[in-house]
This record gives sequence, structure tokens and C-alpha cells, in this order.
Amino acid sequence: MKEAIKINNLTKSYGSHVVLNGLDFCVQQGEIFALLGINGAGKTTSLECIEGLRKYDSGSIAINGRMGIQLQSASLPQHIRALEAVKLFAKWNKTALDQTMLDALGIYELAKKQYYQLSTGQKRRLHLALALTRDPDILFLDEPTAGLDVEGQLSLHAQIRRLKAIGKTIILASHDMTEVESLCDRIAILSGGKIAFIGTVKQLGETIGKHYTITIQTENGTDTYEAENIGDTLLSLLMQYQEKGATITDIQIDRGSLEQHFIKIAKWA
Amino acid sequence: MGAFLYGVSLQWKLDIRSKTLLITCYIVPLLFFAIMGGIFTSVMPGARYTLIQSMTVFGVTMGALIGLPPTIVEIYSSDIKKVYRANGVPLYLGLALTNISAYIHLFIMSMILYIAAPLAFQAELPQNPLVYFITLAIFIAVSLGAASIIGLAVKDPAKTSMFSIIIFIPSTMLSGIMFPTELLPKAFKTAGKLFPASWGYQQMTARVLTFENLLPLLLIFVLALVLCSILLRRIDR
Repeated sequence: MKEAIKINNLTKSYGSHVVLNGLDFCVQQGEIFALLGINGAGKTTSLECIEGLRKYDSGSIAINGRMGIQLQSASLPQHIRALEAVKLFAKWNKTALDQTMLDALGIYELAKKQYYQLSTGQKRRLHLALALTRDPDILFLDEPTAGLDVEGQLSLHAQIRRLKAIGKTIILASHDMTEVESLCDRIAILSGGKIAFIGTVKQLGETIGKHYTITIQTENGTDTYEAENIGDTLLSLLMQYQEKGATITDIQIDRGSLEQHFIKIAKWA
Repeated sequence: MGAFLYGVSLQWKLDIRSKTLLITCYIVPLLFFAIMGGIFTSVMPGARYTLIQSMTVFGVTMGALIGLPPTIVEIYSSDIKKVYRANGVPLYLGLALTNISAYIHLFIMSMILYIAAPLAFQAELPQNPLVYFITLAIFIAVSLGAASIIGLAVKDPAKTSMFSIIIFIPSTMLSGIMFPTELLPKAFKTAGKLFPASWGYQQMTARVLTFENLLPLLLIFVLALVLCSILLRRIDR
């Protein structure tokens, strides 16, 4: 698989505040890649440097393909209609309107609405459509589902999966770990201006180590146990309950969510 | 070129939808003309010889200084400029489109005054229409240039209105469109020469194009171009 983006030793400071301190990572063509980090970790700065919207101090960025960018905070003239905006951007980029894409994003339903009349979700869809007017190979999505209701999030996730299916490379910055877990092939966690972890969600769990939370419900109440070795601990607990003569009504085993792993990595780094 | 023309026609429509430019380019100047035209020509019968020019200078100055800056501020002091840059649209496009669209609106308003003034108030047409229209074309461009500086330099919409009014009031009061500049105190007369409205009005009422009147207008225009390009670069950074 070829690299769509290669970042090498990227640095960026605002005065004495170092935001990116030797950032290194690659994004493969056709994958959905997430950039994670706590607030102020440098996600948006990294994306804006890669997108060419912000100058960086040193390092190199190699991009292999056309870019489409959906910004975290975006706006358009209040009285422009959705389809007019798409046409303007398409004409300026000398690209034809992708009717299928516009239909899938529901832009034709919004065609007559002026920008100020659109809901947050409709604006997100419009800005995604604008990012796609250049027929990009690489798509940047900064907090794509922020402020959307569940239906809006699911609809946008479906669009992102569709774009991956047609070979687009997608880089997204998000705070929504469920979204990241369900959509992304690989993730990178930014901390202290560097990459603290890069790999799949599964690899993140392995890096941190397996940690389980066992919740056992009986007729007398609910007990919670922490365990590193799930097999031995569970067997031992079941024997203890049998000896006590307690009737177990439910058992839940939590293997640790991406949020928990993410917080550990972000704190360790 | 197709994209640019589409942008111009789109901006023209946006201006009509937004109402701001509609009010400042048409409604207020034409209302002012309807009221003041009647007053001027009845109080000072001689005013009918310069009514078209004075009302046009007022309308263009108002439309440019009060109407254009808020539209520019909307683009350059918000996330719109980031969306433009992110999607391959050059930053100057917003400024160019808003200026061209406002230029068309102001020219239409001037034409309405040119046609309506003789019919409504027996106003005399300019002695040399060619000189009048050449001057009008230059004057609109210069006024929009000055307005663009305000729109690009001031980021707060409330402050934009304040700066626009600070320039608009002396432009109209000291340019000679309300009363002859000969009647003004010397300091005010000199101060009036800082504003394009004074030179525009002077040239519009002249029979021939004179270098003396055109030079200040051209200098203000060049200065506006230089300042706008500096401000655009600053915004781009």
C-alpha cells in the first residue's frame, strides 16, 4: 500500500509554546486514520499544517494526491443557497458536479435553503460536499460529527464508509471514541506535541495490557472486581459464589474501552 | 472566466437577498433624492443644474461606504475565509466579487437618478454626458476602494459602521453637494479635499476632464489598491 501522507519531524511553536515537537507519522492510501488527543494536544494545528492552512517551523510534509478539507469551524455567506455554494466551488476548481455524491449527502433537498436556514447537521453535510467538489484523493475531517444528533452522526458515518469504499483516504480528528473505534483503520494519539501511540484500536489495547472489570450480579446485590488474568479470576470468583450458595443472575466482563486506553496513553506520555 | 462570472452573478444575488446593500445602494439614496430633490429645487432653483451630480455623489458615497464594508467583514473576519482557502478559492475572490457586484448596483442607482431627476424635478442633464459617465465610472471605483480598506482593516462589524460614518458624514457635508464649498470655512474646505466625494462632484459638474480633478481620484484609488493588497496579505498570514 502506498503512502498518502508522510510527516517527518514536524515542529510548530506559538511564541515559546511548543505545539508540535517532532511529529512523525504516515497515512496509507485508502485507510481511515484518526488523530486523537486531549484538548490542546495539537490535533487541529497538525491538520492545518498538513492542509497547508498554517505554516510550520521545520520538518517536512509529503502529500500524494488532491486534498479535500472539512474544517472544524466553517461558515459561508448567510444568504448563499446550498447548491449555489457547491456550484461556485466546483466551477472554481474546474470539476463537474458529482450528482451521486450530492444526492447521497442530501444536498438537493437543501438546494433552495439559504445557509442561515440550515441546521448544524445540514451545514456539516454541505461542508463535506464542498470538500468533495475537488474530487479529492485525501479527505480531512476535523470533528465531523460535533454537534450532530444521533441520526446525523449515523448518516455521516455511512457517508465516510462509502467514501472509503470508493478508495478515498480519510484523516479525521475526533473526540468521539465510539466513532473512532467504529470507523477507523488506525489511530494516532498526540501528546506533548508528539505521537504517543500509532496503530489499530486492537493494538492499543495490547500496548496498554489487558485489564478487565468483572461485574457479578446476584440476588443479594452487585459486586465489581478488577482483574489482569480473566480466566483464573473468573473461575475463582465462580467457585467462591458457589461455596457461599449465592445464585448468580448476571455476569458482565468489560475489557476496557478505547476511552480508557486513550486516557492512559495521553496521561502516560 | 466562467467561474468568475458565476461568482459575480451569485454575489449580485446575495447582495439583493441580504438587504444591506439593497437599502444602502437603492432605498436610502432614492428616498434622499425624492425628499431633498424637492427641497433643493424649491429653496434654490439653481440646484436643478447640479441635482443629478449631487444626488449621485451622495448615493455612491453612501452605498460604497455604508453598504460595502459589512459584506467584506462578513467574509474576512469569519470562518468563510478559511473555507475559501481550504477549498482552493483564492482569498482575493471575495473582495473582487463584492466590489464588482456593488459597482453594478451603484451604477444602476446612478442611472435611475440620471433618468428620474429631469422627470421629477426638471433637473438639467450634465452638459457633457461623456465626461459625466467617465467620471462616474472612476468615482464609483474610488469610493469602493476606500470602502474596501475599511472592510479589510476593521474586523468588528460595529466598529466598521462607526468608521464608515466617520468618513461618510464629512464626505457629504464638505464636498459641495449640500452647499457650495465657497461658503465653507477655509479649514473645512481644505479638509473636504481629503475625500473622493469632493473631487468626484467637482469633476462631474465640469464640462471637460481635468487633470487637477482626476489626479486626486486616481491617487486615492492607487492608495486603496496598495492598502487592500497589504491588508489581504496580512489576513492570508
